[in-house]
Amino acid sequence: MSASGTNLSAIVVFVAFVSLSLFITWWAAKRTHSAGEFYTAGGKITGFQNGLALAGDFMSAATFLGLTGLVFIGGADAMLYTVAITVSWAFILFAFADRMRNLGRYTFADVVAFRLHPERMRVLAAIGTLTVAIPYLIAQMVGAGSLIETLFNIPYLGAVLIVGTLMTVYVVFGGMLATTWVQVTKAALLLAGGTALLFMVFSQFDFSIDALFERAGEVHPRGKGIFLPGVLYNDPISVVSLGLAFICGTAGLPHVLMRFFTVPDAIQARRSIGYAVVIIGYFQVAIMIVGFGAIGLLIGQADYVDNVGRIAGGANMVSIHLSRLVGGDVFFGLIAAVAFATILAVVAGILLSASAAVAHDFYSRVIRKGEISDASEVTVSRWATVCIGAIAIALSLLFKSVNVAVLSTIALAIAASVNFPAIFLALFWSGLTTRGALAGGATGLVVVIVLVVLSPTVWVNVLGNATAIFPYAYPTLFSVAAAFAVTILVSLTDKSARATIDRAAFPAQLVRSEVGERL
Amino acid sequence: MDESALLKEPEFHRLLVRRSRLRWGFSGLLIGAYLVWGIGGLYYAEAYATPLAGSAFPAGLAMGLLIIALSIVFSIIYVRAVNRIEAEEFGEQEKHR
Repeated sequence: MSASGTNLSAIVVFVAFVSLSLFITWWAAKRTHSAGEFYTAGGKITGFQNGLALAGDFMSAATFLGLTGLVFIGGADAMLYTVAITVSWAFILFAFADRMRNLGRYTFADVVAFRLHPERMRVLAAIGTLTVAIPYLIAQMVGAGSLIETLFNIPYLGAVLIVGTLMTVYVVFGGMLATTWVQVTKAALLLAGGTALLFMVFSQFDFSIDALFERAGEVHPRGKGIFLPGVLYNDPISVVSLGLAFICGTAGLPHVLMRFFTVPDAIQARRSIGYAVVIIGYFQVAIMIVGFGAIGLLIGQADYVDNVGRIAGGANMVSIHLSRLVGGDVFFGLIAAVAFATILAVVAGILLSASAAVAHDFYSRVIRKGEISDASEVTVSRWATVCIGAIAIALSLLFKSVNVAVLSTIALAIAASVNFPAIFLALFWSGLTTRGALAGGATGLVVVIVLVVLSPTVWVNVLGNATAIFPYAYPTLFSVAAAFAVTILVSLTDKSARATIDRAAFPAQLVRSEVGERL
Repeated sequence: MDESALLKEPEFHRLLVRRSRLRWGFSGLLIGAYLVWGIGGLYYAEAYATPLAGSAFPAGLAMGLLIIALSIVFSIIYVRAVNRIEAEEFGEQEKHR
């Protein structure tokens, strides 16, 4: 295949992006001194900038490259993801934006620790953050390593080292300000690149959506069967689980929740998530159309798809192949560089949330009980970033052949089953107690890990057993339900002295969460 | 500040009720739409694959697009409505003091 090999435009665009990102980091470093500046850019990001950054956080390489591949393979079923993702962001806006921004300062732990036992809840939140962030980080870096290996002919080791070092540099020196602006830059690039790809694909069909869909139905090996739902997911439990994974999972992602605190107030928080919904909704629709366009254009091209329908380089390469086919080598290089930039920006955000969990929630608040100067907290955060960055690089090199899809599923399922129930019930249910939240969090974590191990993705594909004990790819319906049930049952039966304090503090929290700093 | 005093104020209760109505109304509509559409596809697959009259665009995908469009519209309405509600309730309250 000729798609590998060095490509001048890819290198030019990529070097330009890295230079710009390092300039941003240098600029941000001069403005990052206090803990507030390090974790949340001093709360000075505007609603529109933060909306782009939020959308950028979510539009990872997995959505850009993975979803087009999923349309190519699964046809209409890929739309389940597209719809669930957009609905999940709207839900975050309605349910979380106001109350989270009004109660928190740096991390979502501030919110769950507001009226519950502060140290215990911060430990739970730190575990919930790290068990989401580390698998997510490794999934992105391993995916990036393999992608860059194919695209730029850089060996895997070098690719992981480049990604790992750059993300660490952004966060250590530039904190949230650099992370946000790198993310904003990348989101703008990705939107421009995706729109250009959509335009060029459309032009191949003389801008007729009918021609595009007609052609896809003619050339796909399954014919018009690609428009039939129920191919990837053929039972209601899977459809519900997939929806819950995105709706509750996205609302439990620590690096997404952290962005609520980078804006000055609840008005800007609402506005920023409103922008994010619009941008993400648009991008999801664009990706779906590009995916069906790819079916029509790539099938039959021996360079990209063989005669049994296998895509050269794997399903993640669909957008990349397509960009080369419709836009030539220059455009292909551009899209490849944008995909690389996407990964860089996303991992930086995740790394920052992990280091905030270690340095702010665990070290400063639990170990030192808040008895720490602002300057030393920033120093601890920077060292935590370096350590987590190094660990992520080492693990990515060690687990080169790890199944990226499994890691992403675990991360999203833990976010949905550990972080989401704790935050949701802390915000909306006066009966929640510390003991209930801890029991529910532990249940969610254990159920996710057990069910993922017993699921087809690990039990059959990794461990080589004939049939899976747990037949569904996503465990979320069961793990989220278990976490909620245990949290509520334990809270209701909790007669401890702490439980009385937890419940009595709800009215004050309610007022604060609805009106914020206006008091 | 004295939070328990604010808790008894009618403005605060109106804010709470008005925001809750939007919050759970929009969330319920969208999540319900995803579930009905997603599970419906399993039982009416043929209907979902049928193109819309006079085009090649499958009906199931068109419904999915509609839910995405609704998410965007509801989000815009929510942001505007809550800004207005907060201004109304707090505006009144600030005048009282």
